Amino acid sequence: MKMEDMPLSGPDNTKLESLVHDIYSELVEDACLGLCFEVHRAVKQGYFFLDETDQESMKEFEIVDQPGVDIFGQVYNQWKNKECECPNCKRLIAASRFAPHLEKCLGMGRNSSRIANRRLASNNNMSKSESDQEDNDDLNDNDWSYGAEKKAKKRKSDKNQNSPRRSKSMKHKNGELGTIVTSEPYKYNFNTGISYETLGPDEVRSLLTTQCGVISEHTKKMCTRSQRCPQHTDEQRRAVRVFLLGPSAPTLPDADPVVENDGFDIPDGQTLMSRLQWEDSSDISPTDSASSKASTNPSDSRRPKKKKRPSLGLNSGGGGGGGGGSSSLTGGSSSSQSNISLSTKKKRPKLSAPSIPSIYDDLN
Amino acid sequence: MKAAVNQKLTEMGERDRLKELLRAKLTECGWKDQMKAHCKEVIKQKGLEHVTVEDLVVEITPKGRALVPDSVKKELLHRIRAFLAQHTK
Repeated sequence: MKMEDMPLSGPDNTKLESLVHDIYSELVEDACLGLCFEVHRAVKQGYFFLDETDQESMKEFEIVDQPGVDIFGQVYNQWKNKECECPNCKRLIAASRFAPHLEKCLGMGRNSSRIANRRLASNNNMSKSESDQEDNDDLNDNDWSYGAEKKAKKRKSDKNQNSPRRSKSMKHKNGELGTIVTSEPYKYNFNTGISYETLGPDEVRSLLTTQCGVISEHTKKMCTRSQRCPQHTDEQRRAVRVFLLGPSAPTLPDADPVVENDGFDIPDGQTLMSRLQWEDSSDISPTDSASSKASTNPSDSRRPKKKKRPSLGLNSGGGGGGGGGSSSLTGGSSSSQSNISLSTKKKRPKLSAPSIPSIYDDLN
Repeated sequence: MKAAVNQKLTEMGERDRLKELLRAKLTECGWKDQMKAHCKEVIKQKGLEHVTVEDLVVEITPKGRALVPDSVKKELLHRIRAFLAQHTK
């Protein structure tokens, strides 16, 4: 034990040291005494020897050190190879897979209801997806084979199934496309495409006015995406219409490319609109009722979309000339527009779109 | 002088602090468990029913004093000295 020197005089120092040691001894004794009291009380109260068990029990809980067994003596993967019989389907299921299997088998539990909902939704979607041109533009290319469609199915069902737009488009499509849906549900659902050979001319026409319709080379089916589908060009669409319906094909009611590609596509838009004009006027005069149906369809279907972009000057009122500002065809287009707006006016009361007339009111 | 120092120690609460410090250190270093084991032997020797506090004290204290580890002792002495240096003169 080292004696540490304090900055004090000699005799005081030793006194101090002894004092320090005295204090220290006192403290240690205090601690010892405290311990004694504690132990004594424990003995008298009877809990001092509680942590000591008898030999018998000690043997029972001894640490096990054998191979294949943990320190408690339990086997590790005892239940791995066991199989249980499912009370529902009476199959033998591995123990570790039993719980998830039961969840699906009984149809209870979070996951199984989610899957079921998704399946239901995509089944609904299959029968409805003809009319879903707005929402499923990029994901719903039904030209693909069935296997690839599964991926699309998943994404499809992720979209909002209950949006008002969807039901709206469904409502007024029922008249025209209801026949198509009912007549070939199986074919449509399974093959995810439409064969133009089996459709009548009216059906073809109505189809073409709402959908892209370009016939795929490898599957010979019509593309069911919207008129704006990026996979096919307008030229293709026009060619298909000519092919299917003859030279006096109804409108390619497509001012949309112009709307979207305002910056660099204006010349195309203009030629398109001139083409549209020509088609419009030729069509409307002879077969007004049929074409008004046809020409208003796209406008009707366009309206919900147009609601989104009221700021853009162009509307697709059949001729697309309503925009005026971005095209130089106002003179000619206004005639076609007035024709079409008449026909649209005819159609308007039937539609359940109260806000839309206001857009056309402004134009007119 | 000793009395005065002691008084000061108590008054300032340093004594209690030192006590707590010592107890903690002794438990930490295993001194307490050692002493308890020794107690068990004494009790087994004397018989469970007839053990008195005096018996235990007599047996335990000398051993306890001896078993305090050096590091603990040094630290405590250091603290006491520091206190004294601070509060005397």
